[in-house]
Amino acid sequence: MGRLVIFGLFSLLAVLSAVGIITLRNPVYVVVALLSSLIAVAGIFFTAGAELVGALQLLIYAVAIAVFYIFVVSAVPWEKAKKTESHYRFEGIVSLPVVLFLYVEMLVVFLLGVKASPKGEIRRFIEELGNAEVVGAVLFSKYFLAFEVVSLVLLIGMIGAVLIGRKESQTYEDDTP
Amino acid sequence: MKTIPLEAFLVVSMILFGLGVVGIVARRNLITVLMSLELTLNAVNIALVGADHHLGAAEGQIFALFVIALAATEAAVGLGIIIAIFRLKRVDSTDEIREMRG
Repeated sequence: MGRLVIFGLFSLLAVLSAVGIITLRNPVYVVVALLSSLIAVAGIFFTAGAELVGALQLLIYAVAIAVFYIFVVSAVPWEKAKKTESHYRFEGIVSLPVVLFLYVEMLVVFLLGVKASPKGEIRRFIEELGNAEVVGAVLFSKYFLAFEVVSLVLLIGMIGAVLIGRKESQTYEDDTP
Repeated sequence: MKTIPLEAFLVVSMILFGLGVVGIVARRNLITVLMSLELTLNAVNIALVGADHHLGAAEGQIFALFVIALAATEAAVGLGIIIAIFRLKRVDSTDEIREMRG
């Protein structure tokens, strides 16, 4: 019961921060709202018993990606963005019924659907060993190829980000006298 | 062990996903569009971890880890593209980049 209350508090914080992300005008405030939402989602992961994903959410999202966003917001001068409008009003109002349709669809699925609840053959191992050990064991045995492919994708993304984001004036081609 | 119902996770995930989609559509600044995209990825992660909590499996958390890693890559490449666009054209709004319209 207490776990459900904590889950509700974190969900409320996440939803309020998400409303802040899509409504606030100043990009710095939006970064702060995003950081709050990410930390709340990490709290949801911890209450669900997924410690490894929660810790990686805190480490990767709430530290690395948030710092990167703050860096880019400080690199791009946003005084012009403060002068102009920060939202497309017409498109936002038009996109609201689509999202409401999604919510209604979720309600229909909950009312008509059949709830499947299998035994969960891994739950015994989770209760014996702890969550992070089980996730690590499955990750490095069954999904090892996918893990390596993700590492390759990270490497390619890093090289691409460096190549795209560098300054063109710093190429040393016409340096010869 | 299992005290939070699956519906709670799915409701939170769906609400966050819808808000992120509205942000992607309605935001004008490129950086805030990318931040709304991060919000939708987080919503998908909540659904995966909640299903894992319900089923007693470990695959959902592994997929959530993959989503987090790919979101890091996407943020790096996307922000690099935004910086390149800003350096080339001095714009940071999505309706000012219309050379490839057609």
